[in-house]
Amino acid sequence: MHIGIAGAGLMGRLLGWQLLRAGHQVTLFDRDHIDGEASAARVAAAMLAPFSEVVNCERQIFDWGLASLELWPQLLKQLTSDSAQKIDYQQRGSIVVAHQQDQAYLDQFNQLLQTRASQYSDDIDLLTQNDIAKLEPTLAQRFNNGTFLRREGCIDNWGLLNELASTISRLGGNWHSNVDVNSVGPNTIISNNISHRFDLAIDTRGLGSKPQLSDLRGVRGEVLWVKAPEVHLSRPVRLMHPRYQLYIAPKPNQLFVIGATEIESESMSPITVRSSLELQSALYSIDSGFAEANIVKAYANCRPAFIDNLPRIDYEKGLMRINGLYRHGYLLSPTVLMTALNYIGDSNTSKSNDISENNDHSLIRFTDTEKVISKSTHSMTTATHSITTATKASAQ
Amino acid sequence: MAIEIVKDDQWQLYGKRFNSRLLIGTALYPSPQIMQQSIKASQSQIVTVSLRRQSPENQGGNSIWEFIKQLNCELLPNTAGCHSAKEAITLAQMSREIFNTNWIKLEVIGDEYNLQPDPFGTLEAAEKLINLGFDVFPYCTDDLVLCQRLHDVGCKVLMPWGAPIGTGRGLMNSYALQTIRERLPNVPLIVDAGIGKPSHAVQAMEIGYDGILLNTAVAQASDPIMMGQAFGEAVTAGRKGYLAGAMTKRQTAQPSTPVLGTPFWHQTN
Repeated sequence: MHIGIAGAGLMGRLLGWQLLRAGHQVTLFDRDHIDGEASAARVAAAMLAPFSEVVNCERQIFDWGLASLELWPQLLKQLTSDSAQKIDYQQRGSIVVAHQQDQAYLDQFNQLLQTRASQYSDDIDLLTQNDIAKLEPTLAQRFNNGTFLRREGCIDNWGLLNELASTISRLGGNWHSNVDVNSVGPNTIISNNISHRFDLAIDTRGLGSKPQLSDLRGVRGEVLWVKAPEVHLSRPVRLMHPRYQLYIAPKPNQLFVIGATEIESESMSPITVRSSLELQSALYSIDSGFAEANIVKAYANCRPAFIDNLPRIDYEKGLMRINGLYRHGYLLSPTVLMTALNYIGDSNTSKSNDISENNDHSLIRFTDTEKVISKSTHSMTTATHSITTATKASAQ
Repeated sequence: MAIEIVKDDQWQLYGKRFNSRLLIGTALYPSPQIMQQSIKASQSQIVTVSLRRQSPENQGGNSIWEFIKQLNCELLPNTAGCHSAKEAITLAQMSREIFNTNWIKLEVIGDEYNLQPDPFGTLEAAEKLINLGFDVFPYCTDDLVLCQRLHDVGCKVLMPWGAPIGTGRGLMNSYALQTIRERLPNVPLIVDAGIGKPSHAVQAMEIGYDGILLNTAVAQASDPIMMGQAFGEAVTAGRKGYLAGAMTKRQTAQPSTPVLGTPFWHQTN
């Protein structure tokens, strides 16, 4: 098949790469430069944190996130074999802490975690100061208790985005960067007012799809990237804060990202002084080594979200739209990717759609031209099929 | 008799009549969908909405406001996050344009950490806003004199706190709240902030408060929708409890079934 993808953020790149691997011809369109500087994926802290997230979101995010934690290492192994570059990925746990005056937030966090992830108590440890010292010595100087979420981790998203771009071009993908995408419809992507025909058009433009997805909204987030040679945190740290879910995630080359604010606004204007102060004081309160850090980047962008803050794949003949990954792009993209690939594979080989109706929370919504059929879902168990199966299924 | 009273227990806020005595915030829910469902479950008819950080100058918050408008509730915009009378007045004027209402929940924060209202800034802003034609709902501390002054400058509703915003500690100083109730018997009084559990709402209503305003207690509950319903019911229960007139406390136990056959009611062993 010749597949056109509009939007080369994380989802567009992952799909483009996997579809090329499966033998399809792929053309990408993106308003951005190939480095993805304007994409939400670039701004993200790229946390893989289903446990901390379940405290503030629906249970499906947790289940799909756990599935993704299994998929990421397999995907990255493939990417390394395609590109000979290793992407920094760690799943050594994350630590949740609160300053003394915010201790109640941590108590509440632990309580909600217990309710919402009750059968996973083995993956959650309450830490004393000594325990913290063993994991992250400098953190123990400031915090005398915390929560350790064993299975959480983070990924080097800048490295990943770059590697996906170069791998896509190496595998023969056709990439139109710095172009406008005017609209995406069945079998068609209109870019710079020129219509391009495809066997399948995929729309992964995030908030850029809003003209066609009226129930999509943007949720503003702001982050800082800092270079801090004096700081020696090896794991992501989540700091309880009255207003945001703040993470400090270590990145290669002594970089750390702190984010993100969460504001119900679609403003793309630069980071505000208030947000910047909040993020910087959070950094400094975690480790005074951040005082002399250099601010490398300050980003503001909008996460695309639907009303339930859950991702969704809309499918009709010749067109797939994937959107609404909200603050969970890195956490959920492998699961969403596998679901999409499975479906593309299924429909491509004219297999009967093994659509199960017993899943209330659909990730896929099938649309025909007359009406929306929201009952149909692609069972999430399909998504957790091993990656090799999925790739085979999507091969022609 | 009592049934009729309770059936028609509407109240008025700046000339508008409502059945529900619960005012509820629209922030901090896991998703806009859960926000909508929780508020519907609470049966509240008035929702607060914040403008402060959403780049109102270019309608940055339009999407979330659309979800809020779908509730068909009366909107009470707030000036959350303002630290001076001037900031609050500017934001109130912006809110009036965007939401097309004279109503404003006035918040002027005096302490960044516990978000305690600044009584002086609040009074100053209230007076100016009333002169500009606003219907002001001031969020204030539980100080009687402050409440009186706010009333003097023209606030027809007062909203003293139960405890600092988001603490969920309930009525920290119920004596102070009762004093305000006794001294300002005809002003609608709403406990704003600090409510954590439905029982806190019941307590405030039982001492004669006219309404409750809350957000975190519902939005951050493990099940916000059920908690919304619980608070709706609690406010009604407390209100009925107040109207029905609670019995007075007694020092000694008294059987609720008359003890027939005890000849001397003063008899002790």
